[in-house]
Amino acid sequence: MSTHHTARDHAHEDSGHGHSDRFYWMVALVLAVVTALEVTLFVVNEGGMIAKWIEIVILLVLSTIKGAAVVMYFMHLKGDAKIFQFVFIVPFSLAVTLLLLFLGLFGTYEGIAG
Amino acid sequence: MAEISAHGASHGDGHGEVVHKPNHIYTSLGVDSRKLGVWAFIGSETLFFTALITTYLVYAPVNRARPDFQDPKEFLGIELTTVLASILLASSLTMVLALAANRRGNLKSFRNWMLATILLGIAFIGGQVYEFNHLNHVGLTLSSSMFGTTFFVLTGFHGTHVGIGVIWLLATLVKVLKTPGSPENPIDVENAGLYWHFVDFIWVVIFVLIYLI
Repeated sequence: MSTHHTARDHAHEDSGHGHSDRFYWMVALVLAVVTALEVTLFVVNEGGMIAKWIEIVILLVLSTIKGAAVVMYFMHLKGDAKIFQFVFIVPFSLAVTLLLLFLGLFGTYEGIAG
Repeated sequence: MAEISAHGASHGDGHGEVVHKPNHIYTSLGVDSRKLGVWAFIGSETLFFTALITTYLVYAPVNRARPDFQDPKEFLGIELTTVLASILLASSLTMVLALAANRRGNLKSFRNWMLATILLGIAFIGGQVYEFNHLNHVGLTLSSSMFGTTFFVLTGFHGTHVGIGVIWLLATLVKVLKTPGSPENPIDVENAGLYWHFVDFIWVVIFVLIYLI
């Protein structure tokens, strides 16, 4: 038997995809439920039942769950080659850091280019 | 018969056959260079969209202080946006099911899931065009206020990415249907899917930061 790897073989090795269709439907169901929770919270809290900062924290946590599910399971980053994780997570971490820095510096500043 | 192999260079296989090993496909780390390129591109796109989101958020207090102030709460509704978010999430499901079908070699199922993904992408663009038209009619334009400028640039660039994604998916579908036995098909579908899921990922962020918060 040949020890050569075909491109198709390698594609499987690169991705490590081992999920069933049923699993993907379950992930989609979780995403739908989390989206429904986000919208419900937004609508229910329009009257200001809970403090705005609590609402923002909950919304950020829920959207983080959604984003992580998309990247880990639909994009198969979980369990994929380390180099793929590196080239995504490093710029993503840099981006989040820069976003927080800019918001910290200018988030309430009315003068920037105003 | 010549075979596409993983480790570069060509050599005989001991039976008088030459095995072609294209150096350009796999990196020294043993991963597909095209997939690595797509992930690197997605990494750079993360920075690009973060710059646009940061601009929107940082200019929010400037918008409030200016005489041409327009309040986002008066213009942005969540009904249509929730539908658009659901459409993109559904398209991510159909895309991953298309990839799974392609890996199983089920061409019919692959074609159907890919067509569903493309149609959902077109539906999203249609919804966004409707939203932009509506906002223009009620007075929010690219130049009406700082809010209008930052909002349309951010969501417009995202919509453009969705459009490019639809074209990419269409091209991939046609290519796979024309050459169903090609060993490159799984990686081609996977790369198109990575881009599509990333576009969905960005909408998850835009949905919460721009429309809900």
